[in-house]
Amino acid sequence: MTDKDLIAKLNSLKNISPDQNWLASNRELLVSQISNSGALKLSAWRVFIINFNSFAKAASRPAYALGAFVLILITGSLFSHQVFSSAKPNDSLYIARIISEKAKLNTMFNSDERNKLAVQFATEHAQDISVILSDPQFNNDNNKDQVAKLNESFNEEIKSVKTHISYLNPKTTTSDNKNSNDASGTVSMANSLKDDSGVELFEEENLNQNITPAVNTTSVLIMPTNLASSATATLPIDKVGEGNGEEKITINADSILEEVKQLFEKKDYNKAVDKLKEVDEMIKN
Amino acid sequence: MSSNLIEKFKNKQAFSKLKSHDKEAFIKVYDESVKDIYRFVYFKIGSREEANDITSMVFLKTWNHIQNNTLVDSKTLRALLYKIARNTIIDHYRETGNKKTASLDDEEHKIDVLDETQNPQEKMDQESNLELIKSKLPLLKEEYREVIIMKFINDLTLEEIADISGKTKGNVRVLLHRALGALKELVEVDDK
Repeated sequence: MTDKDLIAKLNSLKNISPDQNWLASNRELLVSQISNSGALKLSAWRVFIINFNSFAKAASRPAYALGAFVLILITGSLFSHQVFSSAKPNDSLYIARIISEKAKLNTMFNSDERNKLAVQFATEHAQDISVILSDPQFNNDNNKDQVAKLNESFNEEIKSVKTHISYLNPKTTTSDNKNSNDASGTVSMANSLKDDSGVELFEEENLNQNITPAVNTTSVLIMPTNLASSATATLPIDKVGEGNGEEKITINADSILEEVKQLFEKKDYNKAVDKLKEVDEMIKN
Repeated sequence: MSSNLIEKFKNKQAFSKLKSHDKEAFIKVYDESVKDIYRFVYFKIGSREEANDITSMVFLKTWNHIQNNTLVDSKTLRALLYKIARNTIIDHYRETGNKKTASLDDEEHKIDVLDETQNPQEKMDQESNLELIKSKLPLLKEEYREVIIMKFINDLTLEEIADISGKTKGNVRVLLHRALGALKELVEVDDK
């Protein structure tokens, strides 16, 4: 006989129960005895208090465990970022950095702040990728696959920066159109007034009548038609005028990012890093 | 985990209500555990009449503890009832003057404890099992018999058995292993 058989035989003895008549009579006897000796019927309020206390006692351990877990999660998400922030895209700890950044992003409730932080992270990633690729010891034929992956990641990061910037200012598209309309208006007017060289200086008074919101300088260089649009978009932030600050940041950041992409494609990594730093500063301010 | 939480809640609730002398809570506890306590006492004592008396006494003692506010906290309410039952059995042995060995084969008091709803085959199986236990269980050491009843017949957890017997969980596990081995040996000797 195995242990299992023996246990099964013992288990079958669970069916043994006392005589039903005895059970009924004993219950009756017990009820009458306790009724005569101070048994109470609890009020609804007392029952409520008992239930509440019982639940608090029963749930205290799981509640503490849950509290500790949440605390560890929050502390981890806050401090792990500092620990892993120095990890580079070709490090093994880079994945930990990405996770901690995502955790930090998920703990932020303000969507604007979250988008700003996401832009900052993505810009930093792009900068790190540029720095790594600028290192000739890494960027060679031996690391072809890794370089290709980093190139791909770079494009993803730039895309992510653009997306989050557009979330920062949902009016981007409208303002972009508006600006391009303004620019074309200016350009068409410039066309009518330009001489053969296509470049002409205007008096301040004249200029302010036509493009006051866009320019503050005493005199302005009107570009040939094909350059006018991009020139307006790449104006430094303090020269754009007194419109909506967020919109200006978006327009500038977008154009800088395009430049960064071009520089990256030309493998001018140092300049790309500098431009990315510009975007980073712009978002931080 | 949620079922464990509900179990804990029910246990705490029952304890609190009993401490508040709630009649309904006591009746509920009686209804839920009288059969288990009876089975425990019956397998330890070996006599139906004595098991009936002692079971009644266990619940009266529990009520007295409630009345006198001497109800000691236990891991579970079930464990508390078993502790009281255990002490009542010891008192019973003291009163009768000798420690009667559990003998479940008293021909004068033929036990008819089988469930009437069972089919004949099940009845026969259970009868043979009962015969086996009747003949072998009393031959086991007291502590072996006790842990076997609590664990395999009444389904108590190791934690509860440890609480009732005042041993550690590890000790109870070892004891159970040895008790099962001893019972198996007795059954196999009989088979040969």
